[in-house]
Amino acid sequence: MGRSGGRDGGCPWWVCRELVATVRPKNEVEQKQLCVFGEYVAEILPKYIQQAQVTCFNELELLIHPDGIIPVLTFLRDHTNFKSLADLTAVDVPSRQYRFEIVYNLLSLRFNSRIRVKTYTDELTPIDSAVSVHKAANWYEREVWDMYGVFFANHPDLRRILTDYGFEGHPFRKDFPLSGYVEVRYDDEVKRVVAEPVELSQEFRKFDLNSPWEAFPAYRAAPEPLKIEAGAKKEDAK
Amino acid sequence: MCFFVSFPGNFSETDGLDMNSPHFLERLRILYTKILGVLQNIPKDAAYRKYTEQIVNQRFNLVQTETDVQKLQDKLNSGHIEEVIVQAENELSLARKMVQWKPWEPLVEEPPSDQWRWPI
Repeated sequence: MGRSGGRDGGCPWWVCRELVATVRPKNEVEQKQLCVFGEYVAEILPKYIQQAQVTCFNELELLIHPDGIIPVLTFLRDHTNFKSLADLTAVDVPSRQYRFEIVYNLLSLRFNSRIRVKTYTDELTPIDSAVSVHKAANWYEREVWDMYGVFFANHPDLRRILTDYGFEGHPFRKDFPLSGYVEVRYDDEVKRVVAEPVELSQEFRKFDLNSPWEAFPAYRAAPEPLKIEAGAKKEDAK
Repeated sequence: MCFFVSFPGNFSETDGLDMNSPHFLERLRILYTKILGVLQNIPKDAAYRKYTEQIVNQRFNLVQTETDVQKLQDKLNSGHIEEVIVQAENELSLARKMVQWKPWEPLVEEPPSDQWRWPI
């Protein structure tokens, strides 16, 4: 790199000679280490861990039953050294029976590695709060409650954190519209800000959010084989 | 906690205590004995008990044989001696909780079949 390269016979660097794709090289060693570690944790906690997987980007994920949040998080904090809760979020997939997927991202400072723990719940089932394990979970859980409506049992102070004070609804749910239900404006007669139902002009009313292109062609569902039902027996033609 | 400043004299880098006091090794010995005692309440075939006993026995043997704290830190390769003590305390509290949670039992409940499927 730079001007001192003499191999190319003085050709400037911006003349392309070969096009090589800049793709992150696969780190097999790290992948193997994460696989081994995932198997280790799954062997120790078989009561709660439903699945353990390593993504192609070398990210270890543990998929857990919701009863096992506090045991698994405490184990990862005390036994293996994942002392830092980097993130706590939720994912809304309305087509599933348990629509919300709660995701905990943990970081180990000593071993410089990350791990992801995922659980599931629906709108009404409460989940154990992780505040007793990681203090950082406090505001994250308030955010998940505010945005998705997931209730956390034993949370010290579960109230709204991002939405307005009288706001109704949980904005990050997939069935909550992008522009919301209310809009605010300043009303001169009453001399304060009022909230009124949202008014959209006709141009903004087209809610066609599906893309015309197929999203994951590699994961197409196999077409269901046609079932041939036994029909009525044919009468002998007389 | 000053990890990167070197103090004159044989002081522990984190607390300023005299490093060769028998306090550290004594505390470690007590903690490891307690952990092994708590682990007896777990069934023998549980993976948690197997692996934790392995780790604790290994460290316990090192603590018994090595009296110099500096060399012990190097052999354990797990940070300063205070950090090793904190790790042992965490392991003890975890072991007590594990006895109640019993995580070696088989899976509580299978997820619904489409729960972990991605893409949807």
